Amino acid sequence: MTSVDVAIRNGTYAAFVELGRAPTIREVADRTRASVSDVAASWARLQDSHALVLDAAGAILMANPFSAIETPHRVEAAGRKWFANCGWDAFGIGAALSVDCTIHTTCPDCNERIDLDIRGGRPLDETPVFHVLVPAREWWNDIRFT
Amino acid sequence: MLVFRSEAHVDRWLAGRSGGVTISITKLAELAAAWWSDRLDSNWQPRSREKNQAILDELGLIGDFWHLG
Repeated sequence: MTSVDVAIRNGTYAAFVELGRAPTIREVADRTRASVSDVAASWARLQDSHALVLDAAGAILMANPFSAIETPHRVEAAGRKWFANCGWDAFGIGAALSVDCTIHTTCPDCNERIDLDIRGGRPLDETPVFHVLVPAREWWNDIRFT
Repeated sequence: MLVFRSEAHVDRWLAGRSGGVTISITKLAELAAAWWSDRLDSNWQPRSREKNQAILDELGLIGDFWHLG
């Protein structure tokens, strides 16, 4: 990544953490003192290197492990909340922030709520399991499905 | 990539369809720590496929299913 892309990426993630939602292109431009067109070009390059996922309109869809859209995977930490893209990413938010957190998700089988307190990187309740449906080589073929 | 209440719930959800691989929630926590803990570092760079594969290998997530291709 170029130094410009590093700065835009860092500004994008910092805003996502701070806001609890995906920042708009204008918010990242203001934060990084770049133009909107420069941010758009940088986001496109970052998507090409699997560092971001954009929607059809060019807005942030995923800044993994954070999700821009509402999902069944919610993470609370340090007084803030974020949506995660999947169960793995839900654990990833606490890991990325290096904080204890609580993950709220739903069992796809019975729709019962699952609340997992993560302390020191470990879940206090070790009863649930994690199912990976797609083989690793196909993860980026359709990252939205994965 | 989904969290289920137990392996029995995975089996019921699959309802006979061929599924993927189920791992413990503690293994998922280890995987998440290894995979994501550097994501907010200011000097983060996309990892190579080889480095990602090494993370999976070191956690014992080996075999064709876990091969990144």
